[in-house]
Amino acid sequence: MIKKWITKHSKSLQGNIIASKGGDRQQQLRGRWQDARYIALDLETDGLDPAVDAILAFGWVPLAPPRIRLFEADYGVVKSEKSLSQSAVIHHLSEGDIRSGEPIERILKRLAEHLDGAVLVAHHAPFDWQFLQQAFNEHQIPCQPLALMDTLKIERNRLARKKDWLEQGELTLGACRDRYDLPTMRQHHALSDAIACAELFLAQAYQVVGSHEVSLRELLRYA
Amino acid sequence: MALDLKDMADFLKQTPPFDMLDEQRFDYALDHAEAIYVNEHNTQEVLRSGHPLLYVVRSGTFDLNDKNGKHIERLETGDVFGYPALLTGRAITNKIDVLADGILFSWDEATFNYLRRYSDAFERYFMQAQSERLLTEQRSENQAPDWTELDIGSVINRDLISIDSASTIQNAAICMAEHKVSSLLVVDDGQLRGILTDRDIRNRVVAKGMSYEVAVSAVMTQMPEAVYARQSLFDALTVMNQANIHHLPVLDDDDTPVGMITTTDLMKQQRSEPVFLMNALFKAPDRDALVAEAQSIPQYLRTFASRVKDISMVGRLLASLTDGMTRKLIRLYEQSHGSAPVAYAWMAFGSQAREDQTLSSDQDNGLLLADNIKDGQRAYFQDMAEFVCTGLGDCGIRLCPGDVMAMNPKWNKTSLEWREQFKKWIQSPTPDAIMHSMIFFDSRMIAGNTQLYKKHREAVAKLAQRDIFLGNIGRHIGELNVPIGLFNRLRTKSEKGGDYIDIKTQGVAIINDIVRLYALEQGLTMPATPARLQALQGSRLLTKSDNQNLLEAWQFLTQLRLSHQLRLQGDSTEPVNSVDPETLSTLQRRQMKAAFRIIKDAQQGVGFKLGRGM
Repeated sequence: MIKKWITKHSKSLQGNIIASKGGDRQQQLRGRWQDARYIALDLETDGLDPAVDAILAFGWVPLAPPRIRLFEADYGVVKSEKSLSQSAVIHHLSEGDIRSGEPIERILKRLAEHLDGAVLVAHHAPFDWQFLQQAFNEHQIPCQPLALMDTLKIERNRLARKKDWLEQGELTLGACRDRYDLPTMRQHHALSDAIACAELFLAQAYQVVGSHEVSLRELLRYA
Repeated sequence: MALDLKDMADFLKQTPPFDMLDEQRFDYALDHAEAIYVNEHNTQEVLRSGHPLLYVVRSGTFDLNDKNGKHIERLETGDVFGYPALLTGRAITNKIDVLADGILFSWDEATFNYLRRYSDAFERYFMQAQSERLLTEQRSENQAPDWTELDIGSVINRDLISIDSASTIQNAAICMAEHKVSSLLVVDDGQLRGILTDRDIRNRVVAKGMSYEVAVSAVMTQMPEAVYARQSLFDALTVMNQANIHHLPVLDDDDTPVGMITTTDLMKQQRSEPVFLMNALFKAPDRDALVAEAQSIPQYLRTFASRVKDISMVGRLLASLTDGMTRKLIRLYEQSHGSAPVAYAWMAFGSQAREDQTLSSDQDNGLLLADNIKDGQRAYFQDMAEFVCTGLGDCGIRLCPGDVMAMNPKWNKTSLEWREQFKKWIQSPTPDAIMHSMIFFDSRMIAGNTQLYKKHREAVAKLAQRDIFLGNIGRHIGELNVPIGLFNRLRTKSEKGGDYIDIKTQGVAIINDIVRLYALEQGLTMPATPARLQALQGSRLLTKSDNQNLLEAWQFLTQLRLSHQLRLQGDSTEPVNSVDPETLSTLQRRQMKAAFRIIKDAQQGVGFKLGRGM
């Protein structure tokens, strides 16, 4: 049944594969989805436009399904002298946090070491990837994830198969987690959200594939 | 701490033994954790993968079973497991069954050992946990489960035969005929709405001349009793017997109906004597026939107990049988004296109410009468009580030496009079009043008017929530003698030429007292100790582990007492509620110590929480 579903949808382009050249990347795509490398990530930004708005904080955690390597989790607040905009209401970072932050290059370099060649897992991944791309380019740090795994899109596709329309708020990270009975977490903190997203991804992935042997490439068709 | 893992920190700060770590070790634990998402598809992979780990359940529900599939522990949020393999170096043989997917936090052996080395509290916690785990790992080995212990889900036919509530009665009848069944579940949008049996069609439709075009919803039984597929057949049997019904809807854990279980299904199971025995009691045409059938109960309980692993089922079965006999006697009385002039409720107290009855238990019961009763109508109930109480006595449930029986006019009265009595106890809680009133707070309705009983029970629960009353109970509990002394030595008492410990008065009863006190404080109305503990989960009065420990101690001592009684022959002179520790195995003695230690700790806990400053 799952095979059938996959062949039915395999026509759709794999728009979420970012850079698949190279033996390691090909191997990951072909291999079991559990054996691929994943980085679950969340950014706090001071706006929605990557061209003008800046990243304020990074949180990420490596995943080796079904494990979440919390002891390798990382969090960085970007040092800046700018004053905070209205977005502070959402992300709760203070000017003090920002003044005592780290230079963004340092955080980006650390992230690139893990993210290059790994699957980027995020809730609304294209958004985070646009900001990251902009930042990596600006500081000339090479980093190409293998692919984007968007937990929001997985959920939207899953719900779309069940019902015709979605209510507003049904796809927020918190609402998605509720659907899988995952515990409530504080929101809009980059590291908490990254871990929350990692857990959500595992719940979604196991629900989609069950005990079937599925490759990363096949799993990506759901995202 | 390098990282801001606030959610995890908040959670672990409330999770023993992590709550006992100092800041530095706590941060160390945070920095060395991993999280694992566990579901039915990866559980074996997770546990098999090499090294033993310490696990804490963050979310989800899991069953820990040993390699033979024997249940060790139900694991839920905040529970810790995996430590026996870490402590002993033995290979991991236990298995995990996933009931609900969830997240585990895990730590490797190096981290576990580091935390043990630098925190005495952490170390002590695991030493104690290890010895308490013994309490639950005791049940007899290599024994096939009795049929009564099977899952309901494993015997029912999974083809759900249902109909929606808007269907006509005729369509329902056609559906029943097609599937050759005598009952249907009424289900709307995956939700159980009701049940319809052929008897309903006969009594509520045909006999009343109702049109067959009327919707099923008009004649079905709404909100019927139901059981979950993972409950045991014994649970199904108990519900059927208590509610006096023969068809029981079966639900999945998410409340979706999956089928029906009937008395016929139960009888089809091999060796289903409880059903036959209950049926025989139920069908007895008169008092003499009932008394004759009841004579086989003790012998029957002995064979039943030798088969089941969980001996506490014997207490429930005996309570269930006593319920059945009580109902039968009431029905016989009503048949010969006409129906009752006003609403009433027959109440069981004490062990029958709590469902931990033993062969030595006497009867404790009372009658609750509607307030609108007229003086001339009391005689009906007085006669009923005489008939039922002496009947039960002849059936082997001996008369109460303390005279707590419905045939004593003192315990045969109206709602208003009962409330006055409770007020008296609650407002002047002398030690004597407390000792004699406790039994009445464990009550269960056996027959009669549910509304009348419920209103009464809720009013009593409200009355009891009085600090002075609760404080005095707490003080009373503090004075009870738990037979364990310094250095965990058991304190025996010489009695009938041996050195005995009274596991009823000094063990089971004290746990019942403690749990009852907390239940009163919370306004809970259910009588059974395990059910009260279940309801007290998450209460500030009892931590999760204390709650679990009390339950395990209660189960252990109840079993010990029952198996001891069942072993005694009719002419034995040994005391029925006491055991001589010397006659126990080393393991049982150790478990008994652990159980009394738990009781002692809980007794001191009561002092801190409720017994002070009154």
